[in-house]
Amino acid sequence: MMDHLMALGWILIKILAITIPLILAVAFLTLAERRVIGAMQVRIGPNRVGPWGLFQPFADVIKLLMKEVILPAKSNRFLFVLAPMLTLIPALVAWAVIPFEEGMVLAQIDAGLLYVLALTSVGVYGVIIAGWASNSKYAFLGAMRSAAQIVSYEIAMGFALVGVLVAAGSLNLTEIVLGQQGGIWNWYFIPLFPLFIIYFISGVAETNRAPFDVAEGESEIVAGFHVEYSGAAFALFFLGEYANMILISLLAALMFMGGWLSPLEAVPGIEGTFLAAPSIVWLLLKTMFFLFLFLWFRATFPRYRYDQIMRLGWKVFIPITIVWILVVALFVVKQWLWWAP
Amino acid sequence: MEQLIPQIVFYTFSLAMVLSAIAVITVRNPVYAALFLILAFVTCACIWMLLEAEFLAITLVLVYVGAVMVLFLFVVMMLDINMDLVQQRFARYLPVSLLVAVIMLIEMLMVVAAKNFTVELFPMPAPHPLGYSNTEALGELLYTKYLFAFEVAAVILVVAIIAAITLTLRKRPNTRHQDPSKQVQVKKEDRLRVVKVETDTEYGKHT
Amino acid sequence: MSAITSYLKSLALLELLGGMRVTIGYFFKPKFTIMYPEEKTPKSNRFRGLLALRRYPNGEERCIACKLCEAVCPALAITIDSEQRDDGTRRTTRFDIDLFKCIFCGFCEESCPVDSIVGTDVHEYHMEERSESVITKPQLLALGDRLEQQLAADRQQDAPYR
Repeated sequence: MMDHLMALGWILIKILAITIPLILAVAFLTLAERRVIGAMQVRIGPNRVGPWGLFQPFADVIKLLMKEVILPAKSNRFLFVLAPMLTLIPALVAWAVIPFEEGMVLAQIDAGLLYVLALTSVGVYGVIIAGWASNSKYAFLGAMRSAAQIVSYEIAMGFALVGVLVAAGSLNLTEIVLGQQGGIWNWYFIPLFPLFIIYFISGVAETNRAPFDVAEGESEIVAGFHVEYSGAAFALFFLGEYANMILISLLAALMFMGGWLSPLEAVPGIEGTFLAAPSIVWLLLKTMFFLFLFLWFRATFPRYRYDQIMRLGWKVFIPITIVWILVVALFVVKQWLWWAP
Repeated sequence: MEQLIPQIVFYTFSLAMVLSAIAVITVRNPVYAALFLILAFVTCACIWMLLEAEFLAITLVLVYVGAVMVLFLFVVMMLDINMDLVQQRFARYLPVSLLVAVIMLIEMLMVVAAKNFTVELFPMPAPHPLGYSNTEALGELLYTKYLFAFEVAAVILVVAIIAAITLTLRKRPNTRHQDPSKQVQVKKEDRLRVVKVETDTEYGKHT
Repeated sequence: MSAITSYLKSLALLELLGGMRVTIGYFFKPKFTIMYPEEKTPKSNRFRGLLALRRYPNGEERCIACKLCEAVCPALAITIDSEQRDDGTRRTTRFDIDLFKCIFCGFCEESCPVDSIVGTDVHEYHMEERSESVITKPQLLALGDRLEQQLAADRQQDAPYR
């Protein structure tokens, strides 16, 4: 009995060790977003609360939590309250299988990649239910757009991941990273370059970020599926969206950019030093690079038109991924690979 | 203790699954029905997880919960279903529906009859060794022993997709629509013509 | 042929990368932002901020209660009552400006024959009660007294154009 409780407690501690830094990362990502986009628009961005504006996220969180959660009179109360939770929970649960370093993972399961894919696809329910339960036309339109978009891009994203699993021969995220050992030219982004690009763009579309943010479309449908939400409920949507962004970036780093492996691994002269050693720092640096790309995209590109989003997903991405999976499969079967461990 | 926890988990999920499955066919609101169906799928995936069929469980969530039910909800939410009309027709279609129901019940009983599910036929599966991958085992089986059935199923699905599209795709001549693939090909030179306009007024010559 | 090259070009994402190069260029440029309360942009001498009433150098208030400003005010923000003072001159007994109504158009200043009502360059002010939105004659005169030097200098600078 005691053993079980100990094991349970240990798991809880591990979960907290993942979620608390994650939520802090989300908080600072919102600040980073405002600062980066500000800089790209030749402004400074928030810099008043605390040194360099570092306490701005806490000010925002406190403000949101103090505000009233308004339940629209004609909304479906139960689903209205359930929806933000359904957005946040899958975004957090997916982190269970993410390895941060060799052996540093909450649940070492073989079908890790599938698990992540399944949970990111479940996240769409929060959006749909929010749109329907709000009983507002803008929210509903946003939810419909978002649902169609997420379902379409999931296919392209899934196919991109199939390419990774063909190359790695495993669905386990740790093994995928270990399959990329031996220097930067063994990282999968080189043999799987088109899939890498498509994965990341689909990731941007999956998280409803600019330029694929028609689900929010401030100028057309006010704010999309979360128009009717305020205060803490709105904060949950926010948290879910940003946690998903970090997840997509981290997965891109794990699957295509060698995860925690050092880019200087095979550079002669520095073997054995900390620069060549695999470390979580490398993983975080790569994740930050992808997160910066998210912000960079948002500062650069105008919003896609809805039918063009659909065309890009179905008519461009899916054919390219299918062709490239065949190419990769051919490489693997014929043993032409230079990246094989 | 070792046995107790999986049993508690199993019965919790089974109860949730049975209740939500009943709710699917009893609740009035079609959106609720679809949501209960999703709950049934998720609990079912959890039970499969207990059977160590993690690939199937995750695929169930990925395909049915993540994609199929989204489209279901999509349609159900857009429809404005008039419940009175549905109830009026209930009596009219009752004989036919009863017939279908009875046939399905007999078919199901033939397969799921108690004699097909005895403990002798389904002994407790031996626990798999560490490193056993059920994804790999499934893949091997699908692409060797059941290759033909697998490919036939794929072809049938493709045929169904094409049939559905041909049935619903109507090219109406008088509707106007945009073709994004053509639109993105457009260059500035195709649309914009810079014309040099001669100015002859006194005012124009200054500028 | 051109279709193939255009497909290849769009697949290479050249236009998107071009756009991203522009934004990253601005990312490293010095920023235009002014750190507001510490840094301020210079204001014109014609700036129309909070209104004030001026006095002559001998301390006599300029306003002669002609009510031209009250008449010209498009927002009806000015209310004036007047009375004959003991020395026979006409003076205001009440000069209220409702700051919620005032649109800072400066017509009152233009219409004033004695340069009494003027727009100051004060634009940072607040009130904590709704009733404080109406500022009265003593407040207007006090503001004018406080800023007299600046007001006189601004009028002096603008005089050639009036």
